[in-house]
Amino acid sequence: MFNNRTAAIIKRELKTKLLSKSFISMTLFIPLFMIGILGIQTYLMRYESDADTILLIAAGNDLLKDRLKEEFNTQDYVKEKKYSIVPVTVAGSTFEGFLSERKNDLLSGKISAIVHVPDSALISKKVGYYSTNPNNNTVHLKIRDVINKVLVETYFEGTNLSAKDLEYAKSRVDITGFKVSKEKEVKEEGPGNAILAFVFTFLIYFALLIIGTMMMRSVQEEKNTRVVEVLLSSVSSLELISGKIIGMVITSMVQMTIWLTPIMLLISTSWFVLPPELLMDVDFGLVLFFLYNYAISLVTFLGLFAMVGAIFSNDQDAQNGVWPVTMSIMIPFFIAMSMMSNPENTIARISSMVPIASLIVMPARVTVIEVPVWEFLLAIVVNILTAYVIFRIAAKLYRIGILRTGKSPKWNEIVKWVKFKN
Amino acid sequence: MYALEVKNLIKTFNGLTAVNDVSFTISENSIFGLIGRNGAGKTTTIRMMMNIYLPDSGEVILRGTRIGQDFRNKVGYLPEERGLYKQMKVLDTLLFFAEVKGKIGKKVLKKADEYLERFGLLDRKNSKVEDLSKGNQQKLQFITTILHDPDFLILDEPFSGLDPVNINIIKEIILDLKRSGKVIIFSTHLMDFAEKLCDEIAMIDHGKIILSGSLPEIKNRFAEDNITLSFNGDISFLRESRLVESIEDFGNTTGIKVKKEAGTQALLKLLVENNINISSFDANQISLHDIFIKLAGKEE
Repeated sequence: MFNNRTAAIIKRELKTKLLSKSFISMTLFIPLFMIGILGIQTYLMRYESDADTILLIAAGNDLLKDRLKEEFNTQDYVKEKKYSIVPVTVAGSTFEGFLSERKNDLLSGKISAIVHVPDSALISKKVGYYSTNPNNNTVHLKIRDVINKVLVETYFEGTNLSAKDLEYAKSRVDITGFKVSKEKEVKEEGPGNAILAFVFTFLIYFALLIIGTMMMRSVQEEKNTRVVEVLLSSVSSLELISGKIIGMVITSMVQMTIWLTPIMLLISTSWFVLPPELLMDVDFGLVLFFLYNYAISLVTFLGLFAMVGAIFSNDQDAQNGVWPVTMSIMIPFFIAMSMMSNPENTIARISSMVPIASLIVMPARVTVIEVPVWEFLLAIVVNILTAYVIFRIAAKLYRIGILRTGKSPKWNEIVKWVKFKN
Repeated sequence: MYALEVKNLIKTFNGLTAVNDVSFTISENSIFGLIGRNGAGKTTTIRMMMNIYLPDSGEVILRGTRIGQDFRNKVGYLPEERGLYKQMKVLDTLLFFAEVKGKIGKKVLKKADEYLERFGLLDRKNSKVEDLSKGNQQKLQFITTILHDPDFLILDEPFSGLDPVNINIIKEIILDLKRSGKVIIFSTHLMDFAEKLCDEIAMIDHGKIILSGSLPEIKNRFAEDNITLSFNGDISFLRESRLVESIEDFGNTTGIKVKKEAGTQALLKLLVENNINISSFDANQISLHDIFIKLAGKEE
């Protein structure tokens, strides 16, 4: 299968793909796109959702009002004038009237919300938030601790509690994650590894779709320009598809290595300093596993994309033909992303050992949790077998499809091709 | 031993038999023509000879051994539907296809320059294929077929789409290659090209070989010894001659059909002996085209 002829095909693939403008732009574009998505998300969360917020704080009595005013004025978002706080005293019985008077202001957006802190809140800690957007989590998170602090201080006023006791009473429970594994010592776990799992999943997803589409188009071009017939007079279809896949795998591995270089530098050097909460528990073994897994994924999916390109010569039919392949990348991608909230969910666990899905889910899983050795080894065996079986089927359908002309075949015809002896 | 033997090839697509028990032989150092109408089964037969299609049954024997990769390395193949990478440069294209055949190095580079010069493409060697005219792309494709110095040349409709000047260049190269001991196999539906170039032919119709062998022998077999004569004098004596089968007067010319056993030389001698002033004596043997029409039964 591998010989000088295959080497010539590989060389041509490398020359045309590795040095192409689209390869260079994609290599730069994907990380920028990823950073862009994270950046935009962060920006929207931090600034856009609560900029220019005007809160009317309706306190049950003057004391509460003054204390709330005082405490809010110490907050950065008030100092920076992103939030405007207007404290007023509204006795419990008059609040309904007060609310109906301000209703138009709320509806017109003149004020963002009325925060009702009645006298009863000193006992129940129940506070009302009246707004056209009542479940604005960003605002809730910002005002909750401030109000809590005022309520606690007021509640315990006059008691013998020390300032230290008060501080304790005001503070929230802080849950820190510790990763327990068999071999290593117990380590504190920040969100660093979850971010890394997101990065891995994101890279594998986009890279497979991009390189797969490139492969499909390349096969279509060879079929439509009839170059393939000249090639097949020199090499067998198996040598041709192998050469193309190997060329594409090398190209894509170079690209992935470029993308992973910052992560490898992060592990091996002190050039970059991450905040302690973002520290990653990553070693070279994990990066190497990711690269190995990516190579197997490429062999599996590039065979499928090449097969689609060989069977369907026009773009319209190819778009219809490629959707099962695209879905088999997208569904595992969403399963892997679901691990961001709970890495040990059952669907992710099973998917990480199921053919095809495993290629995308397992790398994310091993990044965030300690996967049992048998599951890890099973995934490796499943993935190698899957790549082998799919490659054989894809090579066969490629051989049949590549010289076929006329209208595109139906799915039942394609299934029949798989059963052909030749 | 034959250079190549095609034995009982059969190929069926979706229940339709495209090639039905096709057999023929090709001698060393010959030009062989596979002729037939469009859709007769020529390309399918050639693809099976190239191992691009696997036959349902039958085999192709190269100098006594079943064909394999060895044959692929020794052959230059010009498919009917030409194909090149549009984005590749001319010289890169030539070097790539030579490398796929296992030929690399300065020798190939030198030969590439020679062929490019012969076809008037040397100044375009750094151009992209897509920037060449269709005719120049055809020429480039032909060079890719011969650059690796193959022992066998398989050309599927090699002259289609070429102007007369380039047809001549290709014909010259084909004859050069024959002189250097190569075997040239080409398929065509143009009978006059086959008649002018081939030593041997196989005629295919509806997937079946209807005639094969050496061209002179075939023409001899089908010769009807028709003579078209222009003259001054009285040829009425021919009507009584034992040499002549029939005479037909066309006004300006007279058509004479000579008896098979008599031969045209005897007729010419008889005319000269009877003092007939001959202005033209056209011993028009039957053409390959006429043989094809006769065998296949209808015009293309």
